[in-house]
Amino acid sequence: MNIDLLIGVLRFLLATTLILLLTVPTAFVVIQMELKIIAGAQLRYGPNRIGPWGMFQSTIHGFKVLAKEDHIPDQADRATFTLAPWMVYMAAAMSMLVIPFAPGAIAVDFNIGIVYFFAVLGLSVVGLLVAGWASYNKYSLLGGLRSAAQMVSYEIPLTLSVVGVVVLAGTLNFRELIEWQRVHGWMLIWQPVALVIFYVASLAEINRTPFDMVEADSELVAGPFTEYSGMRFGFFFFAEYVALFIMSGILISLFFGGWLAPWPFPDQLDGFIGTIYGVLWFFIKTYIFIAVAVLLRATLVRVRVDQLMGMAWKVLLPLAMVNLLVTAAAVLVFKL
Amino acid sequence: MTSEVKIPDPLDLDLDEEARLRRVAGLPAAKTPAGEYAGFESVGLPERPPQTEREREVYTLEEGEMLVNMGPQHPSTHGVMRLVVKVRGEVVTDVDPVLGYLHRGIEKLCEEATYTTVLTYVDPMDYLSTMHNEHAPAIAFEKLFGVTAPPRAEYIRALVVELNRVFSHSLMMGFLALDMGGITPILYGFINRDEIVDMLSAISGQRMLFNFFRVGGVNWDTNDEFLSRLGTWRDHVLKNVEMSERVLTDNEVFRSRTIGMGTLSGRDAIALGVSGPNLRASGVPFDVRKAHPYSIYPELEFEVITQSGGDSNARYLQRIAEINQSIHLIDQIVDKMPHGAVQAQVPGIIRPKPGRAYAAIESPRGLYSVYAISDGGPNPYRFRMRDPSFISLQAIPKLMPGRLIADTMAVMASFDPVMGGVDK
Repeated sequence: MNIDLLIGVLRFLLATTLILLLTVPTAFVVIQMELKIIAGAQLRYGPNRIGPWGMFQSTIHGFKVLAKEDHIPDQADRATFTLAPWMVYMAAAMSMLVIPFAPGAIAVDFNIGIVYFFAVLGLSVVGLLVAGWASYNKYSLLGGLRSAAQMVSYEIPLTLSVVGVVVLAGTLNFRELIEWQRVHGWMLIWQPVALVIFYVASLAEINRTPFDMVEADSELVAGPFTEYSGMRFGFFFFAEYVALFIMSGILISLFFGGWLAPWPFPDQLDGFIGTIYGVLWFFIKTYIFIAVAVLLRATLVRVRVDQLMGMAWKVLLPLAMVNLLVTAAAVLVFKL
Repeated sequence: MTSEVKIPDPLDLDLDEEARLRRVAGLPAAKTPAGEYAGFESVGLPERPPQTEREREVYTLEEGEMLVNMGPQHPSTHGVMRLVVKVRGEVVTDVDPVLGYLHRGIEKLCEEATYTTVLTYVDPMDYLSTMHNEHAPAIAFEKLFGVTAPPRAEYIRALVVELNRVFSHSLMMGFLALDMGGITPILYGFINRDEIVDMLSAISGQRMLFNFFRVGGVNWDTNDEFLSRLGTWRDHVLKNVEMSERVLTDNEVFRSRTIGMGTLSGRDAIALGVSGPNLRASGVPFDVRKAHPYSIYPELEFEVITQSGGDSNARYLQRIAEINQSIHLIDQIVDKMPHGAVQAQVPGIIRPKPGRAYAAIESPRGLYSVYAISDGGPNPYRFRMRDPSFISLQAIPKLMPGRLIADTMAVMASFDPVMGGVDK
């Protein structure tokens, strides 16, 4: 048997296991940040009882969710009802596979990583739609339909804005994209319009306020999650926060130089030190953007469904098209 | 052996217990098998034939329409209101408010209570404007009994009702934002409310159901704690209000969600009986404090504030303007407050001469009034209350058709109904 293949398979298994394990603490940290930052914005303390600064609050929540009753409504479609949380969760976990944490710390260094990422992330809409349908609940149904409409609409400007980046860098591999940014400067300078489109569309894609139409607690109770309880609900909840982490991670990889430090020195660190240094910068930048998303949630009210759709099709899509056209023309003319 | 007398069932002698209860509750005689009525289209339909033309209209579904129950257990129905919303996709085609989930029979309870104890029963009606709830019956009973409260009592009354108005309006700003998914302004509203509630608990002894008014005066005079809290609060209240306002007023998303939403013209508002800030937001300068002055309001300087829009945003801006107006009134009241007694001489059990009395006040939700009839006994023969939220809710089904589900909650919150008052 080919020893390289065996090593490859083992590495893949190890990497996927690590990524799956990583989703749990990631979700905990993001939830904790949300609790604390929103508490700050609202002039209250937030969790401060369990552990120092209440930092184990979300862990305790996780255990609580595990211990809760797992209830399936009588009229629900059992097979799809139980499958839906997994679909959403796995979409988030699988898209984490290509996230470039640091040189040498990418679970799967894929040559079409960007394509893979958007393909897999889009799968979560199937899970939400299925959850909405299988729950046999009108709020869930409306929420599921909203999620389908919203995510399908926003996927287009989201992907188109990234095409500009890809055209400029000439690669679909995250590692090479970041190497390109090390040489030419962060993509932020080259593609500011794409950055704006990507940021807005990514918030909509992961159902964050002000685009959290899918859950919309004041209208649809909890959208597709209304009938879910216990760990099935926990998976949706986890997937949501993991998706926030992933989107911030992808945002900084595409536009803010990924694992690169904001200054050019040390130019390149090799080996283990380089990995640690890269991971450090990756997490600092990612959590800055998570904090921004959380602050947005504390500040803004929710937009309405028609305003949301109007923005995707009337503003973001044409803007992304023009951006792509200009970028492609510039690449052709200036031979970038 | 005990002799058991079988009392004939007034409804039906032949039915067994379950069938009898089902009949009393207006349900069909036998349980329908789950599969028969569990289709998406029929869930939420009343399990009886429609009683009125309106009911037939609401519960008859056309192709592509669906009924959605918003409430009574729903995150945004301000208590336990139930809206049966008929939707075509996301578009609302009809709304049927179903009331009564919080009915406690307060009016009837009041008819059984003595005049002094009535004032304790009306507290939990509109639980965000408890002081106003007590104010109207206090005035009505004073008219019946022919007693007037001492001037200092009237000033203290005006002071506490204006404080109450400030916190009620602060909360409205928060609830409006909350129903659109903004989670922060409600906390700012509660910060403002908490300070006022602390203050009012210092003067009345309770934090929510103050039970502060008496026939012929108020329960307590001002005390040091109340006054010091009032001073501290007055120093920073404008900053507090501005802080909550800054999150919303110029917020582009908030504006796009409220401007042009649920527009109610002045003519329609009058026709529907809407009053208070909701009416003034539609441009009608009607304020009970000016139109039918009571208490010490004739002695205070203030103008009736109106907005021109008549939409959710105008109703929101009207609340902010009224908060500032109330703070201005509080300043005047504190400046002018006379010395003296706070309670007129009134017997323990009041027995007014037979007669009728009506008293209307301006509550944070509008014209709140009380009509009491005395037959000479120790308790009111009839006691009726006009609650402004109940009347305002009439406007909701008029405004909804053609709007989206999301607007149902946003527009309803802008009317600021309190279900405790609606259902009484």
